[in-house]
Formats: sequence, structure tokens, C-alpha cells
Amino acid sequence: MPDIVRFFEDRVESSTESLQSALSHVSLPSTVDDADLYFEHTVREHYSVEDGMVKKAGQEVSQGVGARIVSGERTGFAFTEEFSPRQIAEALESARRIAQGPASGRPLALSRPGRPGRDLYPTTDLAFDRPVPEKIGILETIDRLCRQESSKVVQVMASLAFEDKTIQIVRSDGQVVVDRIPLTRLNVSVIAQEGSNRQTGSYGWGGRTDFSGIVSPERLAQACREAVRQALVNLEARPCPSGTMDVVLGPGWPGILLHEAIGHGLEGDFNRKGTSAFSGRIGQRVASPLCTIVDDGTLPGRRGSLNVDDEGTPTQRTVLIENGILRGYLQDRQNARLMGTRSTGNGRRESYAHPVMPRMTNTVMLPGESDPAEVLSSLDRGIYAVNFGGGQVDITSGKFVFSMSEAYYVEKGKILHPVKGATLIGNGPDVLTKVRMVGTDMSLDTGVGTCGKDGQSVPVGVGLPTIRVDGLTVGGTH
Amino acid sequence: MNVVPSQNLPPKSLEEGEEAIRFILEAARSAGATSADASYVSGVEETVGVRKGEIEKVQAAQSRGIGIRVFAGTRQSSVATRDLSPDHLRSLVARAVAMAQHTAEDPYAGLPDRILPPAIDPAKLFPEESRIPSRDELVERALATEKAALSFDPRITNSEGAECSRSHSHIVFGNSLGFLHGYRKGSYALSCSVIATSGDQMERDYWYVTGPLWEKISDAEAIGQKAASRTVRRLGARRIKTGTYPVIFDPETARSLVGHFAGAVSGSALYRNATYLKGREGTPVMNACMTLREDPFLPGAPGSRPFDGEGLPTRKKTLVDEGVLQTFLFDTYSARKLGRQSTANAVRSLGDGPGVGISNLIVDPGTSTLDDLMKKAGKGLLVTELIGFGVSTVTGDYSRGAFGYWFEDGAILHPVSEITLAGTLDEIYKNIVDRGSDLEIRSSINSPSLLVDGLRIAGD
Repeated sequence: MPDIVRFFEDRVESSTESLQSALSHVSLPSTVDDADLYFEHTVREHYSVEDGMVKKAGQEVSQGVGARIVSGERTGFAFTEEFSPRQIAEALESARRIAQGPASGRPLALSRPGRPGRDLYPTTDLAFDRPVPEKIGILETIDRLCRQESSKVVQVMASLAFEDKTIQIVRSDGQVVVDRIPLTRLNVSVIAQEGSNRQTGSYGWGGRTDFSGIVSPERLAQACREAVRQALVNLEARPCPSGTMDVVLGPGWPGILLHEAIGHGLEGDFNRKGTSAFSGRIGQRVASPLCTIVDDGTLPGRRGSLNVDDEGTPTQRTVLIENGILRGYLQDRQNARLMGTRSTGNGRRESYAHPVMPRMTNTVMLPGESDPAEVLSSLDRGIYAVNFGGGQVDITSGKFVFSMSEAYYVEKGKILHPVKGATLIGNGPDVLTKVRMVGTDMSLDTGVGTCGKDGQSVPVGVGLPTIRVDGLTVGGTH
Repeated sequence: MNVVPSQNLPPKSLEEGEEAIRFILEAARSAGATSADASYVSGVEETVGVRKGEIEKVQAAQSRGIGIRVFAGTRQSSVATRDLSPDHLRSLVARAVAMAQHTAEDPYAGLPDRILPPAIDPAKLFPEESRIPSRDELVERALATEKAALSFDPRITNSEGAECSRSHSHIVFGNSLGFLHGYRKGSYALSCSVIATSGDQMERDYWYVTGPLWEKISDAEAIGQKAASRTVRRLGARRIKTGTYPVIFDPETARSLVGHFAGAVSGSALYRNATYLKGREGTPVMNACMTLREDPFLPGAPGSRPFDGEGLPTRKKTLVDEGVLQTFLFDTYSARKLGRQSTANAVRSLGDGPGVGISNLIVDPGTSTLDDLMKKAGKGLLVTELIGFGVSTVTGDYSRGAFGYWFEDGAILHPVSEITLAGTLDEIYKNIVDRGSDLEIRSSINSPSLLVDGLRIAGD
């Protein structure tokens, strides 16, 4: 295993001593609450197949240091893409101008870099270690398997992407944390055609795990089967009804409901500023007693997991809603300080070029006591939604949407036929009060989520058991 | 040097880009590439944010990057980096050539057949600036904007703040056929978002302006007031009954509606069988009142450019003429694959090879005012915000969350929220029965208000 503690020292002439000496010229005013430097070196590689050919392969190297100064509600931020102590000190100096008041002559004092106290992801058997032809072979296999699955498949587009990110966080309290964070993502997307009817199906998976498990023959076969099955189901889909009706959500990725309906509204920045529909509601009932929801960054190998967040705080399992009662918000260091609480390890950033914000990790509803089959059979007339595309929320009004990609019309507890994709819309603060049943079958999504906020994208996860929600608005066409 | 408070671009960055591209093309040749191209972007950005009358954030950045595509015969690969040191570039290019050996032979892959000079003098697209505003001036403008919003109405109770930013970049592109040109681009933005409260209802809205010159975003007070009035008028929103009604898309939501068309008309989607418009060239795809043009030469517009992502000279074209689809949009690859000519619509991101995209799109305006449109529709919904991603250009299915205003007899009665609009793009475009006169060039996609006859709305 490479010595990640020495990674930036070796690469970037930023030994603790030379950095210390450069930073000794930057003194922070006493009004500064927090400051950090975020070193990042990331290599990304991607391959894609379409029209039966792996015709794209690429690699991207991205590196830089973000400097941040926090003073009360103010943040100064600058970055450099050169790893020299002089450039880094200049970035810090520029960020420092946000803080008012005379310099206190308090220079940053650095400790030796330390590794996080846990290992949620492997650092061996990564995609990078494999030869290029093997990675291309995986995509060729996917293309072949999908076409074998059905003669109606007219297009297969698949991609394999992975990144190897090494970070070093230098904090003004002297702590220096280093971590190496892998991430792999595969996606299969097919178009099936019958006459002039063209429909899509897709399946994505991945995580911060070793490569062998992700690309095993069984996993590839399952992914291709699922993508093609979904496209064939959609060929049979009829127009979706419109209006307010009861909905059963299947387990796994439909947990995007939690992410949009409540997750964003519980982020510390919105609540500190009082702009969220959930502001000031800790201790109040916001969901049915059947609902307990956590944000958990400590699940091994998951896409949303991190050993430490991007401020060096260890991630944790934070209870957001317990038996229907709102218990907590998701915090980074600045918002926690301003709200008189502690960071929950949710300070995240897309890269060195982006400032930190409170963000979700893996957001999960814990399993309930209902048999999933009974949850579905309890539905008198409504929609059974098993897969979704993306979602969006207005955190102030609380209105959120998410889009079904595989769904069925149900009457008297029986699935009648598939329906075309449609948007569901609801009101975040009350949608979970309408949860009538929660299944025992909690499952995490397959590792596909990317969350966007204020122009920054970060990988996240969700998890949900089969649940029934009464009175969601379904945006169908008839 | 990375942090350049209130300075212009490093004066040498066009030369630096040209030099880096020459070096890369030579390195690719010696590593065994049969051809190559490279795209260089260098930029300075400064953003200030204020909230409740105080500075909240200040961000400064200077960054640069280079994207490289190499060909080994008809095989290709691409690489990107932000490190322009010769040793790193040389080893990255060698790595790209090695990767390309493993990708599939693709007879359609390659550079354009020949090079041509840029279509227009870049100085005509993006005006030179005599002076770049200081950071303090950005702060002052953001403060004035937020102040105007906060004092607009007592129901404005909170703020997400105002932001003012500037961005200046140099773009240089070169290929092994000998093309090597660059241009400078500048843009400014001013935005404000506030919150209005009534009882326990809370609503947020915003307004913004962008422009190529500092003077173009000078009306801070107007931006703040518009953000506030948009927010206050949302209070008291309720749902409407599920049904099929006339719907007017305001210019902001009409932009989004027309934007889906730009995706469906892409040559890449066409050869992938991934657009509902396949086989529709020369046939009606919109109502006869609709004419859509692409104009890459609009002075200062965000999508304006003298050449495309493969160095081909851009040109004006009509995409839809009185409802009839005139052409798909092609880059070199999709054109070759389908036996067509590139329409100079290659766009490029650093990390990947070219794809198909538009420069600036404009829907020809009509003569009706918003009042005229509402009178014509009788009763229906005026949509001002859309959320969610429920649109497929493969099937044309459309279903999105919406916010807007219910009107009857030409007058707005009340705001409407928590509803969806659904249909297919094909029906929606064909049912656009009238256009407003309210076209403004605010972005790369620009449309007047559009009246759609009969859209399904899900509510109560």
C-alpha cells in the first residue's frame, strides 16, 4: 500500500516543515474561528461503449489546494492548482481578507499528518490496478449480454468510471488528516424498440469497494438482465393516470424520497438561516411514528460513505427522525458553531475548487414490521413505483418532486399493468406523516446517487424499505 | 499565482495556451499518434455573496486546464489535466496514445476533413473592457441589490442573499491539421433570492441578470425589486383540480421547454436511435407559428463563439421554420456516421471528446402581450417555475413539477403550487398556439412566452 501519509510531501514539496515556514508569514486575525487547507490529487478514468464499440477511453488528472477562512457567518475561499508553499500561502492570504480585525500574530501550527481512525474502503484491488484491455473487455461483455437478452434491444450504452482521490486536510487547530478515497461507477442503458415504440431501461451500480466484487460475472449478468427487463416493461407501459392517489414505493433507490422530501431541508445551513420548511422544528412530529430516518456515513464501501468528511471530522450515524419526531440536523463545522452544536461529519465539498457545505451521506429509513407483500396488497387503487430517475426540492416551500422510471397501476392489491414514467410531487414537511405502512425489507440503493447543491456534485446513497404513502400527486397524462 | 483579487486575466494566457497546444501536438506526434487536437481554457473568477446587509462570502480563483484527444489511426482516447509542466504533459500524451491502442477501430472517428478560418473576428463577439471592477464594487452592487429586495415589502422576512460575480476566460483550440486560434470571453452575473412569509407559509424566489459587460448588470435596484415581487406574489399558493387546461409558459419556463428540443435535435441522439424526432426532418415538429434559429454571433451572449469545439467556423441557421424541422445538429463524428456534413455544433468539455450542442437558440417572438395571451386562453395556468427531471427526449414523454398562477378572463386570480404538468414534447410543441412579444436575450436559450393549448395538470 502506498504511504498516503507522505503522499503530498513526496509529490508537492509541501513537507510539514516547508509548509509551516510558508504559513508562518500568514497570521490570522483573532476574529477567525476556523481555517483549513484542503489538498487534493484525483485521477479519474472512464470508458464507454455504444453501437457495439468501446470507442471512448479517457483519463483526467485534477489537483489543487483550497484555502478557507471562516469568521462568524463569513467565509473567504480561494484555491491554487500549484502545490508550492508560496502559492498556498498566497491563497490563504487572499481568503483571509474576509476576516476583519488586526492580525493577532497567531500562525497556523501543524501536527504530523494522521490517518482516520477507520477504514471503510479498500486501497487494494482498485480498478486502476487492472490492465486497460480488461476494463474494455467488461464493457464488451455488457454489450453482448444485453443484446443476447432480447432481439428488441437496438442500442446499448454502457460506461465504467472510477476515481482515486487522495486528500490532506490541514486545520487551524493543528490537526492534519489524510485519506485515500476510491469510487467506482458502472452504468448500463439500453433502448428497446417495437414498431415505432422506443423505450429505455437502465441499471447502475458501484461504490467505494474493491473491483473484483463489482465486476463479477454474476453482477454483470444481473445488471444487463435488469436494464433490458426494464426497457421491455416500458414497451408495454400505458399512459399513467394523473391526480392524487396512494403510492407504494419499492425498496432501495426509491429512498430518493427521503433525500428530497426531508434530507435537504435538514441541512444545517438552511436551518441556521431559517430558510428551510423544517427550521425551528426539532422535537416536533414531522412523520408517522412508523418512520425512523438516519444519515449514516459509516456504512463500509457505500457510495456516500467517508472515513472523515472534507473538514476532517469523522463521519457518524445521525438520527434525523426518530419514530416520527424530528431529532437533528446535518452539520458542518461553521453551521454547527453558529447553532451552538457539534459537526455531525457532514461537511463536504466537490473538490479543492469548491467550498464546504453541509451535505448528506447515506440517508436511510430503518425497516418496519410489515410484510412487503402485504404493503402492496393493501393498496386499493394507486401506483406501485419500483424505480426512479432524479428528484428536486424547494427547501423553503418544502415542495419536492421525483420521477418514476418503472411503475405499475394497482387495483385491489393486484398489479394490472406498467405505466409510463411520471413525476410525483409532494410537500416535504407533511409527506412522511402520510406513511401508512413500512416493510421489513430495507435495502440500500445499488450505488448510483449524485446530489447537486449550489452547483456542487457529491456522491450519496439512500435506503428504503417498501412503504405505502397515501395521497401523493401523480403527474400522469390521463 | 492563483488568487488575483480584481485583476484581469494574466495577459500571457492566450500565448500560454497556444504554446501548450503546440507542445502537446508535437508530443502526440512523437508518441505515435496519427492526429490530435487540444483545447485550453484559462479563467479568472471572482464571486462575492452578501446576506442581510453583511458580506457572507468571497471567492477568488484562477484556474486553467487542457483537454487532449489523440488518434491512432481510427482509434481514439482523451485525457485532461491542470498541470501544464512539460514532463507531465509528455507522459499524459504517451498514456493517451497507449490507451487509444486498446479502443475499437471506428471508421468514422477523426478530425474534420479540412481546416477553415474562424467565422468572425472574436472581438466582435465579446467586447474589450476598458476597466475591470474591483472586489469592493462587486460587494457594493450585491449589497444594493439585496437592500432593494429587503425593503420592497414587509412580507419579505428573510434572505438567501445576493451574489455578484465576474468571470473572464481565454479559450484556445488547435489540431494537428494546423488550426490554432483563441478568443477571450467575459461575463458578469448579479442575482438575489429572498423569502416571504405569511402565517406559517414561507416562499422563496429569485431574479438574476447576466451580461458580457459590467455596465450590463448595473440596475441593482431593479433586480432586487423583481426578486422581491416574484417572491411576495407566491404567497397564498394553493392547488387546483386535476384536469386539462391551457398553459402559458413565461419566458423563463419557455426557455426550459425549448431547451429539451435542443437535446432531441442532436445528431448524436439521432445515430443512437435516442430521439423521438428520428425521421422527422422536413416534417412539422411544432405549431406553424414557431420558428427557431441558432445564432452563434449574438454579441455578448453566453453561447456565442467564432468556431466550434472542433475548430470549424460556426454559422447561423434555422432549426425550425414555421413548425417544420429543417435540420438536425451535427459534429464531425455524428455527421460522418450518418453521411451528412458537420453543422459546426461540436461542443467540448475538457475531460471528454466533442459532443453535439447549440450556441444560442432564439424563438422568434410574436406580437401578443401577456394579457393578450391570457385573454386568448380564457382560463388556465401561467407557469413561472418548473422542477424535476421527468423529461425523456428518447420517448418525448414530459412530466414535471410546476409553480404558477391561475388566471380567468385574462386576469390572475391566485398562485398555484404542488402540481405537475404532463404530456409529450411532440404534442406540447404542436399545441403552441401563440407566442408573446416579450423576447429578451438573457441566456444561450431565449424564448418569448408560449401559450400551449391543453396540457394535463395533476393536482387535487
